[in-house]
Amino acid sequence: MSDLLQSLLLALLFLCGTGILIGSSRRWMTGLLALQYVEVFLFVSISWPLEIAVVKLVAGWMASAVLFLTYQNMIEAEPESRFAANPSGTAFKGFAALLVGLSVYSLVPLALRWFLGATSQQVLGGLWLLGLGLLQLVLSRDSLRIIIGLLTVLSGFEILYATLEASVLMTGLLAILNIGFAFLGAYLLIASNLEESP
Amino acid sequence: MSTPLIWILLPMLAAGTSLFFLRYRYILRWSGLGFGLILVVSGLVLPINEVFKFLFWEVKLSEQLLIFGRRFILSGADRPIVILLFSLWLFWLFIMDPKLVPTQFIPLSLAGICLILTAYSVEPIFYGALFFAFLALIYVVLLSPPGKEPTPGVLRFLIFQILGMLFILFAAWLASWIDLNSGNQVMLARSLLILALGFSFLLSIFPFISWISMVSERNHPFLSGYIFNTYFLGVFLFGTRFILEGGWIGQGLDIQLPFQLAGVIMLSSGGLIAIFSKHLGRLMGAVIIAEIGRSLLAISLFQAGFPIYFGMVILQSISLGVWSISLTQLQQGIHDLDFQSAVGAARLWPVITSGLLLGYFTLAGVPLLGGFPIYWALGSGLSFYPLWINSIFVLSTLGLVYGGLRLLGVLTKNGGEESILILAAPFYRYLILGLNVLLVLIGFLPQLIFRITRTISDLLLGS
Repeated sequence: MSDLLQSLLLALLFLCGTGILIGSSRRWMTGLLALQYVEVFLFVSISWPLEIAVVKLVAGWMASAVLFLTYQNMIEAEPESRFAANPSGTAFKGFAALLVGLSVYSLVPLALRWFLGATSQQVLGGLWLLGLGLLQLVLSRDSLRIIIGLLTVLSGFEILYATLEASVLMTGLLAILNIGFAFLGAYLLIASNLEESP
Repeated sequence: MSTPLIWILLPMLAAGTSLFFLRYRYILRWSGLGFGLILVVSGLVLPINEVFKFLFWEVKLSEQLLIFGRRFILSGADRPIVILLFSLWLFWLFIMDPKLVPTQFIPLSLAGICLILTAYSVEPIFYGALFFAFLALIYVVLLSPPGKEPTPGVLRFLIFQILGMLFILFAAWLASWIDLNSGNQVMLARSLLILALGFSFLLSIFPFISWISMVSERNHPFLSGYIFNTYFLGVFLFGTRFILEGGWIGQGLDIQLPFQLAGVIMLSSGGLIAIFSKHLGRLMGAVIIAEIGRSLLAISLFQAGFPIYFGMVILQSISLGVWSISLTQLQQGIHDLDFQSAVGAARLWPVITSGLLLGYFTLAGVPLLGGFPIYWALGSGLSFYPLWINSIFVLSTLGLVYGGLRLLGVLTKNGGEESILILAAPFYRYLILGLNVLLVLIGFLPQLIFRITRTISDLLLGS
């Protein structure tokens, strides 16, 4: 993949990650998450054969679909399911994302010494997702946002780890973990509405 | 046929199947007890790598299972771990009150035990970190039963465990890189630091301890007790194997001091929280934090510390078990677990509160109870190390005892209330009394526990 294409992909990845962080609509968040997995797949495919890298895309889309379908069904029961939109909060999150972006960018030369087989865009993309995911985890108490934050962190890790090792079992387990997160998120969303146990 | 198939896949299948029968809670519990007993007995008697006759067939049980080029090994030397884990499950299932504990406890707890065994048995061992992530997912579901909102503590638990997994995987990769560049001390130090961070997340070592208090305060006491008991045991088993198999000890590194430092920080945190706690759940959290510290101190003694560590595991299970069922039953009589609500509870429900007090004081290390000889042995082992470690060990134990005395004061205070409400079915009242007697008996006959735990550690370290 050419440098220019990778850089474009990187910009899109940062926009997706930031969009997920500051977005207030669950539908948009899931849509951006699905798009983010396309970029993760493309970054992973630089290091891995396409047929193994596609596992990331399939697992990611399945995870996004599970989350989307869950609150799609919930919306029928509860029409208003948007997160409270707060302009100052959104601005703060956007600014924090920018700071994370800049600090991660300054770390890239150092990180490249650790990830020897990786391109600078791969490293930057992976670290950005890790940073933005962590930011999501730190700033939110909502279970859905936490699950999406964890999925983002895991995506960043997968990009970086793909440059280090290509194990079929590891790929499979990480894919199952992604889907497991989505099912857990779905369960946590509906758990309080389920029939109470003792 | 192989041991991972019998002790991991088969129970996992049983756990998955039983999810479809959640409405039959009594049948599920009794069949679970039977199945657990079979698993424990199989761990005791099944010959490994030898041909034996089973009904009409001649069977040879191999010790490994190969999946995608990775091996899962449960050899004869791992028997004590298999027996210990399934015995713990059996114990918690036995003391569970199906009327007060969500039924999904049965399948999910069994699946959790299988995942701990998977993490323990996989080779290369760093893959185990991934299975702990799956375990965290299962335990989050277990701690968020239907009809209840997930608590912030549970979500924090999930975050910390996943971050821990990522750090361990990365550290393991770095460590494998060092093999190619042997002698690179900078890289070794980096990978050790990342590994330490990973295990700090997994073991909730300071400053990552907050979720323990949060979960123990807001979640079901029985479920919290079970998870504290098995999760930390699993992480310690995994960590021990990780260190032994990864050759981290043989690299000429001093990992004893970091273990002891982390141990005293945890122990003193537990002691401090116990002094200031005004909530029965948080008090359990304090004791758990202190227990993690003691476990780290025991493991820092290496060969001499392993029998002490396993003794602590057995004792912790009984004490936490009796504490958890007592608290679960007590919750029926008081509206929340604040000290204010529990005033005078010992006058109304003496048997149930005796379970709370004995369970707590045993873990605090009060003389004549089961914990005392084990913590005494730990203190004796630590006496060869700097004075500050020993001083903090003693002071923190005093902090825990002080917390217990405050609890005793609250429970026995005259609240001016009279209640004719009888809590707990007779079986559970007798069970609490029986476990109390057992805790006292261990205090008088600690050699029985030490004989078992020495065998366990000899078998494990011999492997």
